Amino acid sequence: MNIRSLRLAFCSIAVAGIVTALALTGDAQTQRPFTPARLSDGKTPDFRGIWQVRDTAYINIEGHPAEKGIAAARSIIIDTPDGKIPYKPQSLAQRQENYKNRATADPSIKCYQAGVPRATYLPTPLQILQSPGNFAIVYQDNHAFRVFHPDTRPHFDSADWWMGDTRYRWEGDTLVADVVALTDQLWLDKAGNFHSTDIHIVERYRMTGADTMDYEARIEDPVVYSKPWTLRTVLYRIKEPSARIIEDECLEDANGVRHHISPDDPKNLLKSDYSRWKKPTQK
Amino acid sequence: MKRVSTLHCFGLATALCVFLSAGGSAPIAAQATRTSSNAPGATVPRLPGGRPDFQGLWLKSAGGFQGLFIGSLDGTNLAAGGARGGGTRGGPAPSRYEYTPEAEAEKMDRMRRGYEDPEARCHLPGVPRALDQPGGLYPIQIIQDEKYVALLHEAMHDVRIIPTDNSRHPRNYWAWDGDSRGHWEGDTFVVDVSNFNGRTWLDMAGNFVDENEQVVERFTLTDADTILYEATITDPTVFVKPVEMRFTLKRVPAEQQILEYSCLEGERSLQHYTEEDGGKKLRTK
Repeated sequence: MNIRSLRLAFCSIAVAGIVTALALTGDAQTQRPFTPARLSDGKTPDFRGIWQVRDTAYINIEGHPAEKGIAAARSIIIDTPDGKIPYKPQSLAQRQENYKNRATADPSIKCYQAGVPRATYLPTPLQILQSPGNFAIVYQDNHAFRVFHPDTRPHFDSADWWMGDTRYRWEGDTLVADVVALTDQLWLDKAGNFHSTDIHIVERYRMTGADTMDYEARIEDPVVYSKPWTLRTVLYRIKEPSARIIEDECLEDANGVRHHISPDDPKNLLKSDYSRWKKPTQK
Repeated sequence: MKRVSTLHCFGLATALCVFLSAGGSAPIAAQATRTSSNAPGATVPRLPGGRPDFQGLWLKSAGGFQGLFIGSLDGTNLAAGGARGGGTRGGPAPSRYEYTPEAEAEKMDRMRRGYEDPEARCHLPGVPRALDQPGGLYPIQIIQDEKYVALLHEAMHDVRIIPTDNSRHPRNYWAWDGDSRGHWEGDTFVVDVSNFNGRTWLDMAGNFVDENEQVVERFTLTDADTILYEATITDPTVFVKPVEMRFTLKRVPAEQQILEYSCLEGERSLQHYTEEDGGKKLRTK
């Protein structure tokens, strides 16, 4: 190889590099939308898979300093100047009270389902189940699931649910879900952030690459907040071939028994250990 | 914070909260995507790949074991093929739980302590109890693709995402619902369930299994709106011979939907109360 062809080769590499760099920059600047694969109908974006966030918003969606075993994190709230929830004054006082009592007052300690949007940014995976006309999310945490219903039929909101009532539609390749009818016994994280039964959430799920999905939730609740606010996080695809949602049975006591009622409560009737069967032989 | 939920979906008394009808009178979903006129089961809906399509909302018909034990706590079981249990006419003879002597004693003991039923403590029901819920109460939503058949149970918000690749059970994993691996035998979806944690009861009457339980389930669409469910339970340390179970799931009209089940203790369900707390005295022979 002579000098000239070497120079040419260098030149080509350099040009290729610049072109690539420009393309990447362009991508970052214009957010050219990713086109997800399609389901068997050739139309519906394919969101199937096992997904999980990487942040620690489950500790406190407003951000939190480092704790023992948990790295510090920034707020995932994107549209308030300080990254904090715009509470009304009396609601803020309630939040502070919740925060003080969080070690025992967090409803998730009682094995209740996590609610929306909290289930999305838990440190456990979720699985999107999908087929043409069907969409559901199974959360590993406490084996909660949500069946998404098309928004062609109205909400079923005459009762309050732990996981709400979800109606969805597609806006291009973005799944937009409208969620109401959540009970006010839910918290948004371990820090005592909360809402009332008037909460109304608009979730947006959008794939930004083959293995990444933007999750956005716009939350309004005129009883608790002075204005609507929005959180955003990213779900990453779990890629281990053997990855599965495994059974996560929430247990409250050291014997592996679940009680919503304290063992000292007279209403608690569990007076002996039902698991003392010792089989005569083992495999 | 007040603990009581808006809904206590546990026990017969709450049958009304199962699912709603959102109005309208759409015909029962018969969304057959492809049928072949001369094959057996020609009328069943199929996925684009040709497999039977189990998707939809389903509800157990009469029969099964648990449904009977609610009305009959003496251990009589006429479910599998029995005329009174809603089985098919001319089916096999009724199956019973046949225990080893030690297990029989344990079963009788548990029958007296019905309040210790783990499901009454909101634990997952296990298999086949997940499907053998009281007839007509709790529907099952099935979502399916070429890789899995997912059963979303309203009862106990139990979920089973069953792979269809006949893969192996994991090691060092035990669960209330065990570990399910499925494969196709013709148009029947066959599921092998193992890795149970050994704590489940089969019903409210103290019938039980331990961690040596193995279940083979068979799901067959007999027409567009009927799934035949068959389960064979073996547990050599509890039963002297396998237990056979059979019942049908019927398609729920498309205008109805699955609702959320929230199991919370404190229910006034006499089934789970001790005698001194006002519970019924169970017949124990």
